[in-house]
Amino acid sequence: MTVTDQIAPRRTFAIGPVLDRYYGAGVSTVSVLLFLLLWEFAAEWNWINIRFTSQPSQVFRAAVVLFQTPVFYHHAWVSFSEFVLGFALALVVSIPVGLVLGTSRRVRLFVEPPLMALYTAPRLALLPILIVWLGIGMASKVAVVFLGAVFPIIVNTIAGVRDADQRLLQAARAFGANQIDIFLKVLIPGSLPAILMGVRLGIGRGLLSVIVGEMFVSEAGIGYQLMTYGQGMHMNNLLVYAFVVSFFGYGLTMSVRVLEDRVRSWRSVA
Amino acid sequence: MSQIEIRDVSIEYKKPKSEETFVAIQGINLAIEKGSFVTIVGASGCGKSTLLLALAGLIRRARGSIRVEGRDVTGPGPDRAMVFQDASLLPWRSVHGNVRFGLELQRWSRDDLNERAARFVRMVGLGGFADYHPHQLSGGMRQRVNIARALAVDPQVLLMDEPFGALDAQTREVMGDELLRIWERDKKTAIFVTHSIDEAIFLGDRVVVMGRNPGHIRDVVEIDLPRPRAAAMLDSAAFIAYRRKLREYIAGDMQSLQMIKDVA
Ligand SMILES: Nc1ncnc2c1ncn2[C@@H]1O[C@H](COP(=O)(O)OP(=O)(O)OP(=O)(O)O)[C@@H](O)[C@H]1O
Ligand SMILES: [Mg+2]
Repeated sequence: MTVTDQIAPRRTFAIGPVLDRYYGAGVSTVSVLLFLLLWEFAAEWNWINIRFTSQPSQVFRAAVVLFQTPVFYHHAWVSFSEFVLGFALALVVSIPVGLVLGTSRRVRLFVEPPLMALYTAPRLALLPILIVWLGIGMASKVAVVFLGAVFPIIVNTIAGVRDADQRLLQAARAFGANQIDIFLKVLIPGSLPAILMGVRLGIGRGLLSVIVGEMFVSEAGIGYQLMTYGQGMHMNNLLVYAFVVSFFGYGLTMSVRVLEDRVRSWRSVA
Repeated sequence: MSQIEIRDVSIEYKKPKSEETFVAIQGINLAIEKGSFVTIVGASGCGKSTLLLALAGLIRRARGSIRVEGRDVTGPGPDRAMVFQDASLLPWRSVHGNVRFGLELQRWSRDDLNERAARFVRMVGLGGFADYHPHQLSGGMRQRVNIARALAVDPQVLLMDEPFGALDAQTREVMGDELLRIWERDKKTAIFVTHSIDEAIFLGDRVVVMGRNPGHIRDVVEIDLPRPRAAAMLDSAAFIAYRRKLREYIAGDMQSLQMIKDVA
């Protein structure tokens, strides 16, 4: 017992790594602050035209006002629900499809060409068709988020499954594993890092899709607001919405990253 | 009737990028008694792993029959467990989880799982490392987990394909010692492939010497050394005589390998 206690490798309370982590965060914070300062004073001293670029302090003030209006929450909620619905749908479809395509060569040969075509095609180009089919309400945006997110997850899941260690599959079979055991206990946990990477890519694509979709044609949502403020040259409000989207995407992506690092940790033989 | 009966077994592989087949082993006959320890040696490529995979029910035979306890082997079964050379542990599972893996697959009852896995983790001396993951273990520790995983499912026959192949000489010796200690307890039938002649003699009741082109059994050498075996025996006259005999066999096979190269 004492042996484990002394050299337990799972939790490190050593100072080094902690410092490292805060060091990284510290440098990033300083860089962001420097940028904001530069922007603020560049505008202040008329190095740049405030009409086009606004100024951090003004954006901040606009944000404080916007965050108190129900209008903001209405549009944010529309975009958020479109994104979540489309993304959830993408998850539900892509992971099983990826797992099956990764395992079965025959199905893959059949399905891969059209899949790859859709993966590489600019899916936003399909937006006009989607609008004809689904109208300008939420449905068309949900569909475009789905299309944006579904392919990176499928493709990465396939890669994860195909990279599965054959020796692990054989060991599982030697102990009498059936196909379901192999999926649940070997293939899925083994390809989790790849799946999460697909999810991370999918988040970026999905967000882009929802915003561009709303800009293109809609009656509500953050993309719609961006378009409205842009046409009206309301730089402050426009930037508030842009930042909200960035923060949301960044936060979500980073959470998946953390999860990814967690599940990948068993790989680091360091 | 012996516990394991291998009759006239041949195994063929499909050659890559062609329709031809390659005969990996041919005409293998071997009977193995319950509770005995059989080791298999032979030049690389003579089909030792192939034979073991066939016993495990993981590959199909072209000819012949393999019976365990009178039943024809048609696939993997709970009566046999395999210890692979390396990298067959699930990297995302702990030591405990890896030992549980085999039990889960063989549908042991939920209550037994954890308790039994823990017992076998302790048995191979890893009680303090149950929560470690494979990448945090040494090669020798990983092989202990492999062995614990196989023993935990309580097989009749333990198949081991060069389980100590990746270990250094000292660790190998220690592991061999321990394996014998564990084996002496309940004397499960053990079939053990190795490249080391000393290991084969030290562990085995019988050493099966295989030759190549195609893989076949050249001879089976009875090892008449008392048990429990001890490291001191490695220097006994009897041990040295066995060693010399087996070396000659394998050297002969290596020569034929050399000739093939010269012709080619
Ligand atoms: N999956 C396979 N497909 C085609 N040929 C194979 C396959 N597996 C093994 N072979 C061939 O069968 C022969 C025997 O291989 P096997 O792995 O059984 O040898 P081995 O005695 O275990 O060798 P080593 O001591 O190097 O492990 C080799 O010539 C090998 O090329
Ligand atoms: Mg081999």
